[in-house]
Amino acid sequence: MPGMRPARWAAAVPMAVLALVTVYPLLFTANVAMKTRREYVLDRFAPAGSLRWDNLAEAWAGAGMARYFANSFVVVAFAVALLLLLGSMAGFALSRLRFRGSSLIYLGCLAGLFVPFQVIMVPLTRIMADTGLVDTYPGLILAYVAQFLPFTVFLMTSHYRTIPAEIVDAARIDGNTVYGVYRRIMLPLGVPALLSVGILDMLFCWNDVLISLLMMPSPEHRTLMIGVNSLRGQYSDDIPTFASGVLIAAVPVLMLYLFLQRQIAEGVTAGSTKG
Amino acid sequence: MVRPAGSGRADGAGTKQGGGGGPATRTASRGARAERLAPYVLVAPAVLILVTLRLWPLVLGVNYSFTGDGADNGTPVGLGNYLELAGDPLFRTALRNVGLLVLLLPVAVAIPGLLATFIYLRVPGHRVYRGVYFFPAVLSPVIVGAIVNLMLGFDGPVNAALGTVGVGPVDWLGDPGIAMFTVTGVHVWATFGMALVVFLAGFSTLDASLLDAARVDGASLGQVVRHVIIPGLTRTIQFVFVTTLIGMLTSMFGLLFVMTSGGPEGSTYLPEYYIWHQQGQLNRPALASAASTVLFVVMLVVGLAQITLLRRAGRQD
Repeated sequence: MPGMRPARWAAAVPMAVLALVTVYPLLFTANVAMKTRREYVLDRFAPAGSLRWDNLAEAWAGAGMARYFANSFVVVAFAVALLLLLGSMAGFALSRLRFRGSSLIYLGCLAGLFVPFQVIMVPLTRIMADTGLVDTYPGLILAYVAQFLPFTVFLMTSHYRTIPAEIVDAARIDGNTVYGVYRRIMLPLGVPALLSVGILDMLFCWNDVLISLLMMPSPEHRTLMIGVNSLRGQYSDDIPTFASGVLIAAVPVLMLYLFLQRQIAEGVTAGSTKG
Repeated sequence: MVRPAGSGRADGAGTKQGGGGGPATRTASRGARAERLAPYVLVAPAVLILVTLRLWPLVLGVNYSFTGDGADNGTPVGLGNYLELAGDPLFRTALRNVGLLVLLLPVAVAIPGLLATFIYLRVPGHRVYRGVYFFPAVLSPVIVGAIVNLMLGFDGPVNAALGTVGVGPVDWLGDPGIAMFTVTGVHVWATFGMALVVFLAGFSTLDASLLDAARVDGASLGQVVRHVIIPGLTRTIQFVFVTTLIGMLTSMFGLLFVMTSGGPEGSTYLPEYYIWHQQGQLNRPALASAASTVLFVVMLVVGLAQITLLRRAGRQD
């Protein structure tokens, strides 16, 4: 477009600036994490004198981050596994099986998408307390499953709708039971969707603050994100160590992003194009 | 409950023995019944969890909001909690901030929309931008908040950069007139990648021949956006509006928690932070439930109003 070529170049400049602004904070933090306290106080912008790992080691050991990592890991692993199992079971039934009440159940799931956690957090906390699930791993896992199940069911249902009904019928005629169809046909065919939904569920659970804060009050049960926040008080006068802790906590997600960027973007857009 | 694998095998065995009389037919019919029940078995766990941990709490919460706290625990107080909310300056600030977010919403949608347009039109370097812009969106608000706190310090990089062009240091998080804008800005910066990706997916469904026609006719960028892109993306734009608003109203807690704790002078309170504070810190669950109910109603009203407005705007085109 003749009129558009200059516009494109004009846009390239602010876009490049924005890209720099987006990356710089992380680089700044990484640089600070490598500095000694003295270096930081004297000049926080200059590149660190050398690659120094003692801050990272200090943050890891001093703040007990291993425990936070383990807590997050266990909770997220179980929550995502349950979400994918229950989500694919329900998604298969809602998309490819005929039964009374199926559209009501599907609508219920959609409605669940629009009930934010903030609206139910008080009664949910009370239910968890009454059943003795507050401050337990199963309690937090269950809270995550309940939170992200509508989204998971919704995406699995729309994925399974793209699989031809004839495949299911043929498998039934071959003598498979409904459960056999689920296990032998739908689970394998669901893998691409399970992967992108699973990655998103994983990110949601791993990054969560509010639910974990409410469900896991005791310090030894803190998940990583709550643990990182508690570094703030512990290292308020030692910013390089604090920055190291933040960096350590960011690494797993950054790695995930570097390798699985496409799947993450697919999961995010699936909701918009299939809705 | 019926065991899946077991019931399947019973079914097979039943038909093979065929005509053997009583027991076999009974097994067969039991197998058929298991098959009829199978869909319910498949959805049961999900339904059970959603009903007990999402829908039932919604009912309970509305119920709590009409009861008292502390000594009055469980006794009905009518609209008492709602009246207290109406009189609480903190809650009023929280609602005012919701208003601010709704006003800023078009900006928060336009930025990723515009950026996506440029990426779609293959601005030099477009391949890199998508990946870079999206990456803060995958980080937890706690990480984003902690990093941004370092950036916004009194002698941090942002003020240093401003200093070079002669603008004095700004107290980004300590000034009650500025803090809410700062936090909102950070939220928009950290999450616009989500909307960007959604826009790009929308663009990929756009009819390329229309763009080519516009190109042949020598349309300007503004004309292309107004007459080709916006009408072609109505559904995507609606989706982004609604999800961005939901994001603003329900996922800024982490940033508030890390960056301001609602301060300074309560200026950065949002309903979600108010609810958490009343319930967790001040032990006022019934009052918190009333605030939850208000938040829910606000979200429903704003969400529906938005959809209607956008529908009408879409029809005019």
